[in-house]
Amino acid sequence: MLHLYRVPLLVFGLALLGLLLLYQGLGELKPRADWQWMDVVGEGGTALMATIWLLQILSSRPRGRVTALLGLGLAGVALGGMADCLDEFFRLQAGANWDNWLESALGPLGMLTLTVGLYFWRQEQFSLNEQLLKRERLFRDHRVFDRITQLANAEYLQQQVALERAARPQAPCSVILLDIDRFHAINRAYGHGEGDRLLQAISHLLLLNLGNDDLLCRYAGDRFAILLPGTDHATAGRIASHLRSVVGQLAWHTRQQGIRLHLGARVVSAVMAGDVVTQLAALNAELEPAMPLQAQAS
Amino acid sequence: MLADCYSRDTPLLPAMHQPALLSSLAARRDMASDMLLRGTGLDALALSEGRAAVSPAQLLAMLANLAKQDGQRDVAFELGQQWLPGHYGTISLALLQAPNLAEALSLLITHQDQLCPLLGPRLQVEGGELLLYWTDSVGVAALMPFLVELHMTAVSALCRWLADEPLPWRYCFNRTPPRNLAQHQVHLGSHLQFGCQLDAMVLDSQWLHQPWPRSNPAAYAMLKQQLLRQGRPQYSLVQVLYDRLHAQIGNPPTLEEAATLLATSPATLKRHLAKHGTHFQALLDLVRTHESLRLMQYHGYGQEELAQYFGFHDARNFRRSFKRWTGMAASLPFSLAGAPW
Repeated sequence: MLHLYRVPLLVFGLALLGLLLLYQGLGELKPRADWQWMDVVGEGGTALMATIWLLQILSSRPRGRVTALLGLGLAGVALGGMADCLDEFFRLQAGANWDNWLESALGPLGMLTLTVGLYFWRQEQFSLNEQLLKRERLFRDHRVFDRITQLANAEYLQQQVALERAARPQAPCSVILLDIDRFHAINRAYGHGEGDRLLQAISHLLLLNLGNDDLLCRYAGDRFAILLPGTDHATAGRIASHLRSVVGQLAWHTRQQGIRLHLGARVVSAVMAGDVVTQLAALNAELEPAMPLQAQAS
Repeated sequence: MLADCYSRDTPLLPAMHQPALLSSLAARRDMASDMLLRGTGLDALALSEGRAAVSPAQLLAMLANLAKQDGQRDVAFELGQQWLPGHYGTISLALLQAPNLAEALSLLITHQDQLCPLLGPRLQVEGGELLLYWTDSVGVAALMPFLVELHMTAVSALCRWLADEPLPWRYCFNRTPPRNLAQHQVHLGSHLQFGCQLDAMVLDSQWLHQPWPRSNPAAYAMLKQQLLRQGRPQYSLVQVLYDRLHAQIGNPPTLEEAATLLATSPATLKRHLAKHGTHFQALLDLVRTHESLRLMQYHGYGQEELAQYFGFHDARNFRRSFKRWTGMAASLPFSLAGAPW
């Protein structure tokens, strides 16, 4: 995202250069023996680190008030450190105190701006947490999120079931699996891009139909898993059939041909007890069509 | 004949076949094309214009690049869903019109150079069961588990589509169970067994001749004629040698005899096998492993009989050799009665 900040970064670069020219023009170079290396490393290091933080912040955030404040703050800290550091190389005329002003204004002002930025960043984070609530439940690990639906995967589901049961061993904790009917046929007929769009739509639809404590995961492929803390078997069954009917009522139109697809889903649910992996395997097996008799006999 | 075989480096695949499938999947995953083609020596522009032909080794490198970027470990399964019948010209059209599983599998095996050049499928029908197992054709090394997932998903998804119902396949994997089974469960089903001595899919053989609703027999016959006119399909050297050894497994040829059969010199044969990540003895051991598993599974052979069949002095000798071939004790690859499914 750095390309969004070409102009501000250019201004920052020019400011660094301007600072150098200012010291060079108005001061005289100290003899090498007078250079205080400890100070150079300390002050120059601050400037360098602040610049790295600035680049990391800008490369990872969209534009906005929070980014502007964080960026300005870090730029101020970096420029202050730079002025401090240049001080070690150049002797200014006696009586000139603009450099003191520069050092003591830039650094603290930068830190103040940074602090204000962090305050707003915290507020922004609260509102993002609210949006992510049904997707991640109080434990953040960006590696488990699926690229298409932005939902966590089966591994995260298993961790969450374990955490939930450890936290509230008395309360029942249910899991629903929901599998889209003939999803592979939609992929074949309308392309995998269309399949991806449908998965996104269904994940939004399911999120809208869940409570605040519930967690929606993409188990794998076209199979979703829903963790319902504090929910008994009967309630989970009701929620499962509600979710199935919600998917059935979605009037989905393909993008290219505008064809209305009639969707359906199969659902199964269970209260988690005993080994999570075994129980999830059994739930998955329940979703499969029954084996023909001959195969069962063998 | 060695000259008729394809190798790792034969430019076998037109750019619009499997390579195009990989490119579009990479694009859907926001993966840059230079990332996909890293280490292949292929030119992105030539590939996108359909001018390049791709060798098995290059296809393998592209797949390895995809696998490296695959945080969710689902890329093999997603590719598998699209791999067959594919858009590989006449052969894909013929697969699409296949009247039943038996015909589809026969096309897959005969035209593996176009459909699955990296892993060779082998079919065995015995004791009321069909067993489709996969062996390395070009030295796929560490990518084997990934390719097994891909090919098994491809065949399962093809059958589910053409039969208009999922077939109750059971799967055996020559590997330890993965950390998470979710992808296997959703894309293949729950009848999974790990730690087997071969990578195989098993199905009741009654499914072989169940008619498939999508087929048009007249079109299928014409497409098969057209395939015949395309000329003889190619096979990898490893697969050809496997067939030779398998045909005479009771009294297998030596390296020198095998070289003569393939109209080449022993040194050249050795060099070619090394290029494909194997050697003569390893291949012979592999064929003997598969054959002993078949005899144990379907003909009730014990170790005494197997030792005799393969010309060992005694059962103890055979047991030791089998352990060396597979790293496991000689036992049934998948149990029939009391199976986990």
